[in-house]
Amino acid sequence: MSEQGNVETLIVLQPIAVDTASPDREGRLVIANGLLVAVLVRLDGPEHDNPGSWFMEAGFGRLQGQRAPAFPALEDATRWLRRHLKRT
Amino acid sequence: MQQALTRKLESFEPLSDQARWALNGLTLKVRQVGARQDLIQEGDKPDNVLLILDGFACRYKVLPDGQRQIMALLVPGDFCDLNVFILDEMDHSIGTISTCQVVDIPRQAIDEITVHHPSIARAFWWCSLVDGAVLREWLVNVGGRPPVQRIAHLLCELLMRLEAVGRVTDNSYAFPLTQTEIADTMGLSDVHVNRTLRELRALGLIHLKYRVLTILDVERLKAFCLFTPNYLHLRNTRWGERRALSWPGRAQEG
Repeated sequence: MSEQGNVETLIVLQPIAVDTASPDREGRLVIANGLLVAVLVRLDGPEHDNPGSWFMEAGFGRLQGQRAPAFPALEDATRWLRRHLKRT
Repeated sequence: MQQALTRKLESFEPLSDQARWALNGLTLKVRQVGARQDLIQEGDKPDNVLLILDGFACRYKVLPDGQRQIMALLVPGDFCDLNVFILDEMDHSIGTISTCQVVDIPRQAIDEITVHHPSIARAFWWCSLVDGAVLREWLVNVGGRPPVQRIAHLLCELLMRLEAVGRVTDNSYAFPLTQTEIADTMGLSDVHVNRTLRELRALGLIHLKYRVLTILDVERLKAFCLFTPNYLHLRNTRWGERRALSWPGRAQEG
């Protein structure tokens, strides 16, 4: 896929269960232009500050080691991911 | 309150009554600083030596994107860099975590007390060397241990450092750090800190409520994170005695 700035990255979210050694289980594989770039997990444990929000459990490539805030909704997560994938 | 410094120094070096009396003279001007206030910021010119007599403070840096890294926790009896006044400007910031009792010691007073009391000078050297040793251990911790052992290691370290200055009762101590502050200290996300504390609780190793941390089984927690207290170099404490037992050849020192 082209990585030119004027081409919108195609992001697909694919449901997956994730073992986080905690009650947080529901996840999404984030696939950008056919490549796995991140795994998002929904924070379900009652002890979390913001239960129900989405957390970037792992990032690959440009997202590796990035610390992201917890996102209220998947759309917010996608927006953040899109922005950080564009950075060179 | 002044005892924190004396107790800490005495865990490194025996002190005479005169030395103790001289140390009390250093800590006359105590001020209270509220929680989460900067004591000195990166770029400031350091004038006095800061000493924490009560509460928790930390040494930190902030990256351009706002990410904070805490590089040291300062507890009662800890100097915020004993010889910092030699430097032109601060290369990091120091801020309180909880409300703190802080003493500003003029550099001249440090110079004088070390000239007149060689035992204090030696104890000050211990402090600086142990600060370096703790920093090295933190590098190992952040770079080498998985999150759950990493946090367990910090909790073991704090138990020993606080016990050396009389701030531990029945393996419980004040623990004012928020999850975000633990995350900033350990190079983890808030979420991972949250899960890790949950795991340590579920394993029956710790109890944390109302900002008081209780270590339910010290030996198990230490075994869990393979904690070796040698880097704290505590001599005149129960930990120091254990250290002497584990290295019989050195038991005669000090």
